[in-house]
Order: sequence, then C-alpha cells, then structure tokens
Amino acid sequence: MKVDETIALLRQGKQVSEETVYTLCLRSQELLMSEANVTRVDTPVTICGDIHGQLHDLLTLFDKSGGVENNKYVFLGDFVDRGFYSLESFLLLLCYKLRYPDRITMIRGNHETRQITKVYGFYDEIVRKYGNSNVWRYCCEVFDYLSLGAVVDGQVFCVHGGLSPNVTTVNQIRAIERKQEVPHEGAMCDLLWSDPDEVSTWSLSPRGAGFLFGRNEVDQFLHCNGLELIARAHQLVMEGYKEMFGGGLVTVWSAPNYCYRCGNVAAVLRIEDGLSREYMIFEAVQAQDDVGNAIIPTKKPQMDYFL
Amino acid sequence: MNGVRQDELRETESKRVKVYILEQNEWKDTGTGFCIGKVDKEERQAEQNAPPEDALAAYLVVNDEEAPEKTLLWSKLEGNIEYQRQEETLIVWKDLSGQDIALSFEESTGCDALCDFIIKIQKSSENNISLVAVRSNDDGMGSVHEIITGPVNLPCNDAEQDEKQLMEALKILNENTAFEYLRSETMEFVLKSNYVATLIKLFEKAEAGHKLRELLLLSNILKTLTLYNQRELLEQMVGDEYIMGVVGILEYDTEFPTSKANHREYLLHSGPHFKEVVPLNSDDMKRIIKKTYRLQFFKDVVLVRFLDEHSFNIISDIILDLQTCIINFIQDETFLPKLIALYTAASPDTPIETKRDGIRMLHQCVQITKNLEHSEKSRFFKALVRAGLFKIFDFAFGQETDSGIRILATDMVISIIEHDILLINSVQNELINQPEGLDQEQQHSHKQPAENGNCTVSSDVSLLAILSKILLTDKSLGLKEQVVQALNTLLHPEGCMGMDPDYNDSGGVDMMMNFNDARSNGMNEENLIDNMNFQMTDYFNNFYTQVAPQLFAPLITNSLSTPDDDVLLIYLVKLINFVSTEHNRRLSREFIMENNILKNIAKLLDPQRMLQLRLTVVRCLKSIVCLNDEFYHRYLISENLYAPVMDLLRENLHEDNLANSSILDFFKIVSSQCMQALELKASDKRNFIMLNKHLVKNYRDILLEVDYVPFTKDMIRMYDEGEGQLRESVTESTSMVYAKEGKRTFSETLETTKVSTSEETTTFKKAMEKITSAPPQSFIKEDVLGTEF
Repeated sequence: MKVDETIALLRQGKQVSEETVYTLCLRSQELLMSEANVTRVDTPVTICGDIHGQLHDLLTLFDKSGGVENNKYVFLGDFVDRGFYSLESFLLLLCYKLRYPDRITMIRGNHETRQITKVYGFYDEIVRKYGNSNVWRYCCEVFDYLSLGAVVDGQVFCVHGGLSPNVTTVNQIRAIERKQEVPHEGAMCDLLWSDPDEVSTWSLSPRGAGFLFGRNEVDQFLHCNGLELIARAHQLVMEGYKEMFGGGLVTVWSAPNYCYRCGNVAAVLRIEDGLSREYMIFEAVQAQDDVGNAIIPTKKPQMDYFL
Repeated sequence: MNGVRQDELRETESKRVKVYILEQNEWKDTGTGFCIGKVDKEERQAEQNAPPEDALAAYLVVNDEEAPEKTLLWSKLEGNIEYQRQEETLIVWKDLSGQDIALSFEESTGCDALCDFIIKIQKSSENNISLVAVRSNDDGMGSVHEIITGPVNLPCNDAEQDEKQLMEALKILNENTAFEYLRSETMEFVLKSNYVATLIKLFEKAEAGHKLRELLLLSNILKTLTLYNQRELLEQMVGDEYIMGVVGILEYDTEFPTSKANHREYLLHSGPHFKEVVPLNSDDMKRIIKKTYRLQFFKDVVLVRFLDEHSFNIISDIILDLQTCIINFIQDETFLPKLIALYTAASPDTPIETKRDGIRMLHQCVQITKNLEHSEKSRFFKALVRAGLFKIFDFAFGQETDSGIRILATDMVISIIEHDILLINSVQNELINQPEGLDQEQQHSHKQPAENGNCTVSSDVSLLAILSKILLTDKSLGLKEQVVQALNTLLHPEGCMGMDPDYNDSGGVDMMMNFNDARSNGMNEENLIDNMNFQMTDYFNNFYTQVAPQLFAPLITNSLSTPDDDVLLIYLVKLINFVSTEHNRRLSREFIMENNILKNIAKLLDPQRMLQLRLTVVRCLKSIVCLNDEFYHRYLISENLYAPVMDLLRENLHEDNLANSSILDFFKIVSSQCMQALELKASDKRNFIMLNKHLVKNYRDILLEVDYVPFTKDMIRMYDEGEGQLRESVTESTSMVYAKEGKRTFSETLETTKVSTSEETTTFKKAMEKITSAPPQSFIKEDVLGTEF
C-alpha cells in the first residue's frame, strides 16, 4: 500500500479497496499501540473537535490551519457517524498519521465504538459502499487502540468528553486497559461521554452515560494536575468554540454546518509555545473534486434490486 | 349568493340554547329558545341594492321557547365572520355590525349540529367565514386555537406562472403547514388538482429557459410539500408518471445554487434493474419494488440533507410497509422453492453465475428484513430454512470459491442466528419429526449427515463445524472476521434470551463483567437459565467434544508460527477468552485445562509474535484471573505462566504504551482484589492473596521498578505484612471449593463470583483513601495521589 496514493484517493472521496483498508488499519494499530493512554504533545499544536464524517470540511480545516506538512494536530475524536464520508475522514487521518507520525494525535470519541456506529451511520455507510460490513469491523478494531487523551506541554489536558469521578489525576488514566469496546460506566466511559455544566458537583448526565461536572470539578482537576486548561469537544457549539469556568475549560467543535443543516460555524484551537490560545473559525464551503467541479455531499445509493 | 343551491335548502334540527349579547362588556342573557341553522331567501332587511329575489343566504335563527313566534336571534353567516367554538357547548362570534353574540347550548350534541352547519356553509357558499375551536390547555393556563374550517389560501395552479407567483405559492405552502386543517385542505388540493404535474410542466419550461431562480423556487416548493408528510403524495411523487420530473426539480438546491445534482441520469442508468434469477411473474410486485427503490433513493440521496426526523420516519414507514409486501411475496409458495431448486440435483445445469446471483438476491432480502418486525422476520427466516436454505449454504461453503459470495452467505447466517440462535435447529427438528413432509433428497441427507461436507440437516453443531473449518482454512480476512462473529453468536449462552450480541468481540474485562451483572439482576432469568440448561447442555457438550478440538487445534498442538497465523491466533485466543468467561465453567475449564491451552497461549507472548497477539493473550489471562477460579489460579501459578507476562512488562518497563498500561491494569486488579480479601475479610477473594504472593515473591524486583503507580507498592506491602498466616487459610478454603465443585449445576456455575467493575472502582477508591491516610511514603510521587486527599 502506498500511503501517498491512498491519501490522494481519499481526498477526492474515492473508494479505496478492502485490502488497502485492511493493511492501513493493521499498520495504524502498530503505531497506536506504541502510544500512551494519555499522549504527550508539544506546542505549537492545533486542537480540533468533532469531524463526524464531513470529509470536505476536514479538508478545509487542514487548508485553513496550515496543513499537516507544517503543523501538529490533536483530534479530539468523533471522526465518524452523521456525515456521509465517515470512512474517508477516518482513513485520511490514519494515513496522515502513518505518513507524519508525530504530527497527528487521534483521541477516541464516544462515536468510535461498535455499538454507536451501528446506529448513527458509519456501519450503514460501509454496507452501502462495500456491500458487506468487513471494513467496518477493521475500523472498529482500530478504534479500540486509540488513545483516551493527550496533554499538551504538560498544561492542556485534551479529551473527547470530559472528567470522571474515578479520575483524580492524569496518571490514573495510565492504568486503564483501553483496548476494548467503550464500557457503559467507569473511568474510560466518562472520559468519552461527560459534559461540563453549571452544576455544583458530579451530576447524572441526560445522555445516559458519563457525568455532568461543574466549575468545582474542573478547578480541582486543573489544580491537582498542574494544568491550565481542559480542551474537549463532544457538544455542538454554534460559534465553533466556547470557553467556560473562567477559561479553565473549552469546547471545540470542528464540523461546520453540522449534519449539513445546523448552520453553525466550526473552530480549531491553536496553542502556541507560550500557551497562548488562538481560535481559527471556519465555515462550510462548497466541496470540490480534484478538477474544481462542485461536489454535493450525499450518501451513496444502495445497490439495485436482484429479484 | 350563488353557492347555495336549491336542493340544499333545508334546516337543521332545532336545539335548545340560551342567547347572550355583549353589552358594555357584560354578557346579557336575552332568553332561551330553540336554535336552527337555515338557508332561506335573502330578504328581511330592505336594502337599497337588494339582491335578486331568488338569492339565498344562511342564517342562525333562535326562536323563544315559550313564544315560538318570537325570534330571539336572526344572524346571517356572511363576510369573514370567525365563529369560535369554546369548549363543548358555546359558539361565540362578532357579526359584521360589531355585535358580540354567544350561544350556549344545553347539550354538546346541539353545539355539534350547529357547528356542522357552519362548516357546510363555509364549504359551499360563504368561503370566507371560519370556525375555530378554542380549548383551554391541559394545565388550565392559556388556550389552544384550532381551525375547524375557514378560507384556505392555495397556491396558483396555472400552467403559466412567473417568479412572483411561485414565490407566493412557496409562502402559502409554508404558512399552511401551521394548522392541521390548512394542511389537510392543502393536501386535498395538491392531490385532486394534480399540482405536482403543474410544477413539473413549469419546471420543464424553466429549465429550458435557464431560469435559475424559478428552478430553485420550484425545488423549494416541492421540498415544502414533502414536509406535509402525506403518504399518498409521497407515493404519487415516486410513481412512474412523476418520478423523473420530481427528481429533476430536486436536482436544484438553494444551498448549492451553482451546481446541479444528476438524479435523473442516475435513475435512468442505475435502476432499479430487475435481474430476475427466478421470474417474478407479477407486475404489481415489480411496481412495489420500483417504488421501494425510488423512496430509498429519495430518503438517502435526493432529500438526504433536507428531511427532518418526522419526514424521515414517514418515508421509512412507507418503505417498511412495501418491504413487508416484498418479503411476503418472496416466501410465497411459488417463488422460494423455484429459487432453491436451482441449487439441487434437480437442476444440475444451473450456471454458476445464476447461483451467485441467487445468493446475492437472498442476501438482499435478508438485509431488507433488518427493519421488519420480529415476528415477520421469524416467519421469513423459518420459511427460508424450511425451503432448504442449507442447500444454498452447501453450495456457498462447499463448491463456491469466490470469497465475496461466501461472505454474503456467512452474512446471512449471522443475520439469522443473531435474530434467533435456535431458529435453525428448531426448524430442522420440526422437519425431522415430520419425515413425510420431506422429499427424498432431504431424507437422504438426514441419514448421512457428515458425508462429503453435506450440512443440510444433522446434529446441532454442524454449522459450528463448518464455520470452524472456514476460520481455519479460508484465506479471506474479511470472511474470517465474519465467521468469528458468527461463532461468537452461536456460542453465546444468552443468544437465545434476546441479549444484545454486539459485545462478542470484546477482550475487555469490564465488558464481560457488565454482562454478568446484567444477567444476575434480571428477575426471571434464573428460571430461564434453568430451562435453557436442558436444551443447551447437549449443544455445548457436542461443541466441546466434536467441534472445539478442531477449532482450537492450533492452540492445542501449538503448530502455527508464520506471521499470517498470528491473525488467526488472535481470533482463537479471543474465542478462548470468550468461552472461558461465558460458558459453563466446568465444561469449558475441563477442555481448556486438559488440552493445556493456557500454557500454549502463554507461549504466544513470545517477542517474535505480533504485538497485537501478545496483548490479546494478556487480556485473555486477565479475564481468566478475574473469574476468581481456584483451578485456574493454581494452574497459572504452578505452570509459571505469569513469567512471560513479566517479560513483556520488562520490555516495556519504562514505556508509556498500550502493553505497559495493560499490565498496570492487571496489577490494579490484583492489588485491589487482594486488599479487599485482606481488609474486608472477603473469604471468596483468597485466590488473589495467593496470586499476589506468587507475584511479589517471584517478581519483587520488577514490581519495585514500577514506581509510577501506587498499587505495585500495595502489592509488596500486603505480601510483607501478611506473609505467615496466609498460607494456612488458603489451603483450608481450597479443600472446601474442591468438595463443592463436583455438585455444581449449570446455573450455579454461572453465578460464580466474579470481580465486578463497580467493586473494582470502590476498592480502588478505598485503597486510595487508605494509602493517603497513612503517613506519606517517600517514593510515591505527588502526582499520583493528588493534593486534595
């Protein structure tokens, strides 16, 4: 498999062969196994939120933020589901990671599981595109190897959902067996599912998994771990990003016009060497193919009838 | 007054009523009488421009109950009067002179009769009057207004329309979605007046004239119509007559004004094309199939970014109904047997491509059933098995070489067994018990089940055997993946109890444990398990005697060594993990122990092996440790099987990676379980004291080096503190367990104590509290404990 060729195909939203996906997934596993549950990353780095299969917006994201050739990125998960190009988006990130291992960090989101992708689109997309679900299985296997978080310069804790009552220190996350389907409760589940809210202490989450946590929990966690910021995604923000709790936490959302209809803008967070934060806002733009013709995002029609 | 015709000139029945007039903001009772609605010659007031003599008008008339000749009310239904029906018995309005009038009926049926009259008049002659129902909200605060009848703005239906008219039409259609009455009136208009046909004609002109704005307006009009969620209209749109025009209009999209989709071209070239493996012989069915196809195209492509959840569901419901029709047709007596016959000795000349198409077609049908009701699904799958689905599998797994086709066949197997794991066996039992119902060939295959790979009907585990063989021998990776899923489902004791089989892959300890928690919480599940026990003991016995020795042969003979084999070995280790945690303990453990499988699995921790495989082995061993099973614990220690795990740790001692984390998780489990055993006097956790002792005794050096988590120190401390007295109590408990083990039933074994996640968490917390309350130890990093303790 030639990574550069696959990247070119994926950028055009073209189908890659089942064998290529398999090889790609296997090689990604090798890379991911060498990573920590909480990966260490240095500044300068660009932190990106949910992508949700919006391939063309992901391409815009790279375009507008300088590109993977010259920049480091942390993706906070939810690469798949909802949008029509989950596979291409996820594989493109894997390819970039293989091509530039130190420039891409991928954190697992709550959508990177077998159970959720069966319901919210990724499984369906694969069956449409390949006629069977094998490629979905290969990808789900990679999901299990993804990191649970990252720390930028020891100061910014990156996670998909949020905090967990079972995790007081970042170091505790190290002793989690992450190679598994996301459990329905416990630390690993909470990191991927929790949300910040105006609550005085840990509260039940309306999502049915994870917790709601408030300023107290954030302040304590930051203090305990000598951190300055928690960067997370997981919730749609119409303005692309939202800081809370006196700037101790930020939600970053990177899928503009979410589901092709929400009308929101997207953002990524750039952290410079001195830990200064800079948000780059971008909108959904008309997707184009390799020769500049417009592409209208859509699902692939199902196969025809055989009766 | 031209709308009221002579033949409608009649009166309603009279209804008892009180008449009120609003005077100076107070309702004044003007008397009680009988109210009728009547159509009469328009006379009464002598006006200057008096209408022609035969002109008719409608009136609400009340005559005094005591003096019938005395008229209490004579009010004309005219102009744009809005009548309000308030609650059940009141009609209130303001007439054209500005007078507020209220009729309070004795009975709600009286009010109904007069409201019907108003509706009739609105529909026939006085189109501009309206009737609105006003009810108070459920919470008593505020009120709900609902239009019962009234004037409806409708879009222009002219064959020639300009941009302005289209804009107006779009506005009207959007407004009319607000009230149920307006919606249904609008839909009636759209359906009766062929409005869609008008739109298509306008579209053709606009497209020919390159009038983009009109095209976009038409597209928005059509989209708005879909939001009315009217089934008949949606079905009309995908009919032969309109479909091309409709998708043509929808190729234009305001969101992408500079580009155009190619729906028409796609439909022309892509279908649906009927590849009739067996002739359909039904035009109706072809129509239904086309309709289904087009509705799916609508839902998935044409309107995919536009539909809201409600509209999406309406279209899905229609599709579901049509699919139910299709599935019913397929299992019809005439169709299925013809299809199956292609694979039997009766038609030896069936071309291989036809056979393949047959499988593709059946696979599609099985896919269709995904959304069907449970009972419908069962009926279809049973019909398939009864008709001889296994003849098709014989072909796919016996003769077919194309792995794409074999993947489809396996996928069908998975769908059926995931729906109901016992379905195939129960249908086959049914066939065996009614031999007169079988044809010659089927009877033949009963007698010689195992020969030449024929799997038609035989012992319960033939499917397991076939799948095992595919897993071990087939080269296709995709097929292997699928087969593992099928095996997991077939081997899942809960499969028959409707539990979600999606978790079959997990090597994760937590997942397995949740499974067990869920089970023990159910109320009747114990009984269920007992009942299942009877049926399933045979099945699982057969598995362990007939299938498992082949399936796990590579782990028994330890024969595989090339890198490609490592992928297969991952599957097999996962399966061992699965059967050891989910199956009857005695049965699975006997097999695993007697064949020295754990010993051979531990050999796979060799650094030459793929790291994924080595980590799968670690997880498998952890799961088995968590079973808290005396036999396993003693075996693992006596065979020294933790040594290669510690070697793996040594390789990764100062790395922060997956291997390191996975082993830290192991230490966390050992230390927390051990602590529980010691501090809570939990006698059923003694295995962990034994394990901790073994680990600290043999690997103290490496545990000391793992100084970045607290639980390795706990392990050492607990060992050092508890050394002497432990030995005695462990021996004691062992003999007790041995004595009891022989008598255990299936259900009892299932309930064997396991380490649960929540337990683990609370223990972890307790451990942390304990440690922090103790004087700080110099080698624990601050980072680990946190400062708020």
